[in-house]
Amino acid sequence: MREIELSLNQTQKIRLQRALDRLQSLSSKSTSNSSVTVADTIPVNDEDGILKGHGTLEVDSEVVATVCGVVERVNKLIYVRSLRSRYKPETGDIVVGRVVEVAQKRWRIEINSNQDAVLMLSSVTLPDGIQRRRTPIDELNMRNIFVENDVISAEVRNGQHDGIWQLHARSNKYGKLDRGQLIAVPTYLVKRRKQHFHQLDKYGVLLILGCNGYVWVGELTEAKDSMEVDDVNESEKSNAKSSDQTKLEENYTALETRENICRIANAVRVLSILGFSITVEVILEMCELSILLNLDIHDMLGAEFCVTVAEKEAVRRSL
Amino acid sequence: MEFVSPEGLRLDGRRPLEMRQLRAEIGAVSKADGSAVFEMGNTKVIAAVYGPREVENRAQQMNDQALVRCEYTMANFSTGDRVRKPKGDRRSTEISMVIRQTMEACIMTHLMPRSQIDIFVQVLQADGGTRSACINAATLALADAGIPMRDLVTSCSAGYLNTTPLLDLNYVEDSAGGPDVTVGYLPKLDKVTLLQMDSKLPLDTFESVMQLAIEGCKAVANYLREVLLENTKQLEYRRGS
Amino acid sequence: MLQSKSFVKKTKGGKVVKVVREHYLRDDIYCGASICKTCDSSVARLSSDASTIIIVDTNVVLNQIDLLENSAIDEVVVLSVVLEEVKNKNLSVYNRLRTLCSNSQRKFFVFSNEHHKETYVKAMVNESPNDRNDRAIRVATQWYQKHLGSAVRVLMITNDRENKRKANEEGISAETVESYVKSLGQPALLDLLARPASEDVVMDSVEDLRPSKRKVIYSEHKPMSEITTGLHRGIYHQGKLRVNRYNPFEAYVGSESIGDEIVIHGRTNMNRAFDGDVVAVELFPQDQWHAEKSRIADEEDEEDESVHLVQSSADDAPRSTNVQGSSADTTPSRPSGCVVGVIKRNWHSYCGSLEPMPMPAGAGGIAHALFVSKDRRIPKIRIQTRQLGNLLDKRIVVAVDSWDRLSRYPSGHYVQTIGEIGDRETETEVVLIENDINSRPFSSQVLACLPPLPWSVSAEHLSDPNREDLRHLQVFSVDPPGCRDIDDALHCTLLPNGNFAVGVHIADVTNFVHPGTPLDDEASQRGTSVYLVERRIDMLPKPLTEDICSLRSDVERLAFSVIWEITPQADIISSRFTKSVIKSCAAMSYVEAQARMDDSRLVDPLTTDLRNMNVLAKIMRQRRIDRGALTLASAEVKFQIDTETHDPLDIGMYQIREANQMVEEFMLAANVSVAEKVLKHFPFCSMLRRHPTPTREMLEPLLRTAAAVGLDLDVSSSKALADSLDRAVGNDPYFNKLIRILATRCMSQAVYFCSGDLSPPEYLHYGLAAPLYTHFTSPIRRYADVVIHRLLAASIGISKLPAIFQDRPQLTSIADNLNYRHRNAQMAGRASVELHTLIYFRKRPTDTEARIVKIRSNGFIVFVPKYGIEGPVYLTARGDNGSGEWLVDEQHQQVKKADSSICYNVLQMVRIHMEVVEPQPNRPKLELTLTE
Repeated sequence: MREIELSLNQTQKIRLQRALDRLQSLSSKSTSNSSVTVADTIPVNDEDGILKGHGTLEVDSEVVATVCGVVERVNKLIYVRSLRSRYKPETGDIVVGRVVEVAQKRWRIEINSNQDAVLMLSSVTLPDGIQRRRTPIDELNMRNIFVENDVISAEVRNGQHDGIWQLHARSNKYGKLDRGQLIAVPTYLVKRRKQHFHQLDKYGVLLILGCNGYVWVGELTEAKDSMEVDDVNESEKSNAKSSDQTKLEENYTALETRENICRIANAVRVLSILGFSITVEVILEMCELSILLNLDIHDMLGAEFCVTVAEKEAVRRSL
Repeated sequence: MEFVSPEGLRLDGRRPLEMRQLRAEIGAVSKADGSAVFEMGNTKVIAAVYGPREVENRAQQMNDQALVRCEYTMANFSTGDRVRKPKGDRRSTEISMVIRQTMEACIMTHLMPRSQIDIFVQVLQADGGTRSACINAATLALADAGIPMRDLVTSCSAGYLNTTPLLDLNYVEDSAGGPDVTVGYLPKLDKVTLLQMDSKLPLDTFESVMQLAIEGCKAVANYLREVLLENTKQLEYRRGS
Repeated sequence: MLQSKSFVKKTKGGKVVKVVREHYLRDDIYCGASICKTCDSSVARLSSDASTIIIVDTNVVLNQIDLLENSAIDEVVVLSVVLEEVKNKNLSVYNRLRTLCSNSQRKFFVFSNEHHKETYVKAMVNESPNDRNDRAIRVATQWYQKHLGSAVRVLMITNDRENKRKANEEGISAETVESYVKSLGQPALLDLLARPASEDVVMDSVEDLRPSKRKVIYSEHKPMSEITTGLHRGIYHQGKLRVNRYNPFEAYVGSESIGDEIVIHGRTNMNRAFDGDVVAVELFPQDQWHAEKSRIADEEDEEDESVHLVQSSADDAPRSTNVQGSSADTTPSRPSGCVVGVIKRNWHSYCGSLEPMPMPAGAGGIAHALFVSKDRRIPKIRIQTRQLGNLLDKRIVVAVDSWDRLSRYPSGHYVQTIGEIGDRETETEVVLIENDINSRPFSSQVLACLPPLPWSVSAEHLSDPNREDLRHLQVFSVDPPGCRDIDDALHCTLLPNGNFAVGVHIADVTNFVHPGTPLDDEASQRGTSVYLVERRIDMLPKPLTEDICSLRSDVERLAFSVIWEITPQADIISSRFTKSVIKSCAAMSYVEAQARMDDSRLVDPLTTDLRNMNVLAKIMRQRRIDRGALTLASAEVKFQIDTETHDPLDIGMYQIREANQMVEEFMLAANVSVAEKVLKHFPFCSMLRRHPTPTREMLEPLLRTAAAVGLDLDVSSSKALADSLDRAVGNDPYFNKLIRILATRCMSQAVYFCSGDLSPPEYLHYGLAAPLYTHFTSPIRRYADVVIHRLLAASIGISKLPAIFQDRPQLTSIADNLNYRHRNAQMAGRASVELHTLIYFRKRPTDTEARIVKIRSNGFIVFVPKYGIEGPVYLTARGDNGSGEWLVDEQHQQVKKADSSICYNVLQMVRIHMEVVEPQPNRPKLELTLTE
């Protein structure tokens, strides 16, 4: 059994248990008992023409699960939605990844999947923002755009026949991420939604809930253009290494913003610990709650806050 | 030495056909993709699974299936006398290989080509039957990592002492030097994927001892299944819809 | 159902190791009382009408096992904690207790309190293991009382004062053994009580008989911890103490740490150790190794040699045979030492009688007496009895309880009476008990394994494809007269090509004795049949021994056959093994067979076969001798027994005829063939028989004697020895045989072993000069042969190899047991002969001639060829230690008078007078005196 790793005192234990029990009863109301484990037989109505999807296997004319998860039925398709597995890319997903290698005309990006994804040089917007053919000069200057260990946001473009997925960052909103925190959460906690970029103006924070379970919490920069400017600055800076006073100020993030980043990041962490679905609404709610309770940022990871969140979640879901 | 008293009790109070107490816990290593702790009585094993992920050494990459690797270690404090256990000695290399082969047989590696799965098992406390416990722990960790498997492979040992077949030998019984049959078993498919034996047994006795070990595997499988199902349900309801 | 409790304990050994063991507590352990309603009564052992249930403490079991074995004590619950403690302290008592518990006649129930949920107790802080166990016993007693309610009284019996006090405080009824036995009202039971060591003070009365002995006699045993460290650091040496059979004041400790035997002189140095005890020995400084020797004389009541049978091998004698006196030539390098502690006691019960003593004034009261064991290696034992008058002329069994350092003798208690001293039955019983021979009738479970009688060969046997029908062959058997367990038969036919087909057919015992059955277990335990002068103690039940397996004439019997094709030059061309059905046409005695062969008028087929075989056998025998087989001689004697009274009528050496040798030759050949076959198939789990090559040291006495008579023996190999024995022809006809007898007794005995335990060169059978040998030909009377039959059957693929053969340690333990039983059976046989010799000479004082075989300072040991006995002849009166009148010449092995008027040489012939005398009432012994 996966235990929630918190050091709880007796009352907190009881409270948490009660909240979780509540959640359990709520969920069993809504979803039928469709959880399976490896090698469980999935009951199939004898109608012909079932399509066996992911996580299923036919053994002796029985449909058997190959992973632990929840059985989903869409028309004739039967598949097992596995929890806690690695990210399975789908075209159009917004992901946050980390550059692991700069290669020929491409970057290899680690996106918490079976294999690293590829971001072609041709799939990024160049710093100057002009759409044009990529020249060998551009190839030589690839490191001016992304270098190893950079965190970037991108969109899944398509999968190749060899199983490698391609990304693209051909929009102003994609690109390099800095001045913020990257949090890795289990993939199944992030659901695919319309909106994965959240500009939380109130906190001056940019929140990206990557479909691959990588969550970015960073400083919200004012205009889209500034990002490009930033990039330019960055490159210039690295090239010239001139430590101009003005440029330093531009790199400076206000304390308040930094605190907000941490607060939001911790909210994500708490949700990850509790195994609750991560959405922007819940995150914001938690931030407000923590401010309301006048909690220090680091106290958000304490047992008390977690239990409170669990209780709130129970109330929220029962509404 | 007397391993089964005339009253039919073993040294630790079990009857010959009884297993030790089982305990399993999923998710012991937060950084890993899947992890589990498995206990059979005083034998305690932790397993962590990383992957499927990019193959570290490109040369080992396989275009049609995943690369499965396994590393078995024994913690220094796992036995009564605290000795430094050299890494990669014969015994651990052998057990690593046994576990890898057993797990490879049930992982659907063809679904994850060009990737690599790493299984790390470490014995935290050794009291006989570490091999079996490692396999069971690895199974749990793999299931936790959401890696597709044909079946839950489980393992259990059985021995033959004082002309009695004994299920799940502990250290004292194991070190008696009698025959010790370790079976890895796919309960759904009713297939044996691992069969090892120390010492010798006549064929007909061997069969009954092996059958006993298989029964043990089935019992372990039932328990693992329970644990996994409960875990899945919990993850699901916690996440909410 | 399971509850897990882990506990931590320290283990022995140099370093402290943390051991964590699981301990499951259960709720399915039943109380064993048939009145109990809640428990499963199918396993109940305690009767329903029991008014009292007894729970015994460990010390009670350890000390009073003899009492518990008495059928007056019943309805006993034995707790597993008690069993465990007993097992750790004394394995033999544990085994006896286990036997009691498994005996369905007795109402003993084992309650696994240590695994019962409610009776398990956890050791408290600062509580010693002993206290914890005592508490566990009390808790279990309390549980029983509560569990069974008021209908039954649960009584705890303990001799531990503290335990009893605590029990009474906790409201448990507890009593001491003494008070409990008294309450039973059977005074005879009181004798069975062992007296704990602490009560020793009461024993002054016996000590008073020996004035000024009330002082510390023995030095204290070192504490165990000190011994362990001492052993570790090489100051002490551990080994099993073996007391010299011929001189109880000398003992040997075979020590692995110094790779030699350590001699222990005198009881003081033996320091209360018994024969067979595992002891720790401290060596004396080297310069004292000699000095110790003379000390024997200081010891009081030195016992004299008694007349006994000739030993047949070197095993039972101490390594060096010059026992006493001959001080000049003792090997200087024998280390000597003294016992500093006993690591493991080998106390068991001993047979013997009470030392004659006047009846105490108050008859019927408690009397103290000294018990003298028949085994001379055992010191006298003090016992307490209420039935002294009754026991004085009886053979009794006594067990040892303790040996205080203040008392000269150990103290013990009476166990049982065997019968009157001197009575033949009683003495035979003593022989059996002393040699640990089970002469009880076979149990019903064993008998249930027998096939229904009358048994005969059925069609099923004949149609068995693995069994050949050899009924058409002319098979016959040759055995000693009156033999009823015929396990071998022979046949010999002339083949068209001029060769002979010779078959050895052995009773197919394994067809009836299946592994794992009670019958097999019993046979394996008994190991061999025991042949006493007037009776035989069978290994297998009588129907098998004398009927079903016995290859009697004119009946169809199952056999396991070895069939060879042999050329007229007696070369074995091929051998074949098969199970068969045979029909013997004649069961002859050796005399009959010999007579047939010798009678040239007879030309019937049977006689022809006999003669053919005899020719072959002679060639084979010669070839064997050429190879270096020793023709050894033993002084076997034969009694003629009165059929009415079973008293011996006549006595004489066993005569060996050609027919004997013929049968023997083929049996040897069969054994060798089988050994080869079996070893080829099962190189690691065969049971073979080996005869170790004697070391030069072992042959030393023989060489010395030979040298004294001017004979040069070459002992470099068995071949050389055999040749030089052949050359040793003296001036009288008996000389050669005498030398052979002396040679035989220098050798150790052949032993069974498991082939996996030794390397092939060690498989050698020295005496037979055969690289491989085993026993195959007498499965009715030897279990080893049964084992070999199973191996052979498996090797020719007609049956599966039983599981036991996979288990090397167990196979080795079987071999060890067989060796032990074999030796005991021989000893018992000899003891029986000695007993009958005594009975024979009781009414027949005889003059006869004898040979001097050993020289002593005050006389010599003679061997009486006619009766096969050996005994001392004293030249001086007892107690008078030679006083220089007689001188021993070690070099020439002779003893002469100081004035050289008379001189006795070794191997010289003397005339002696044999007579039974009774120096003490009820202690008859055979005395030899010179008649010149």
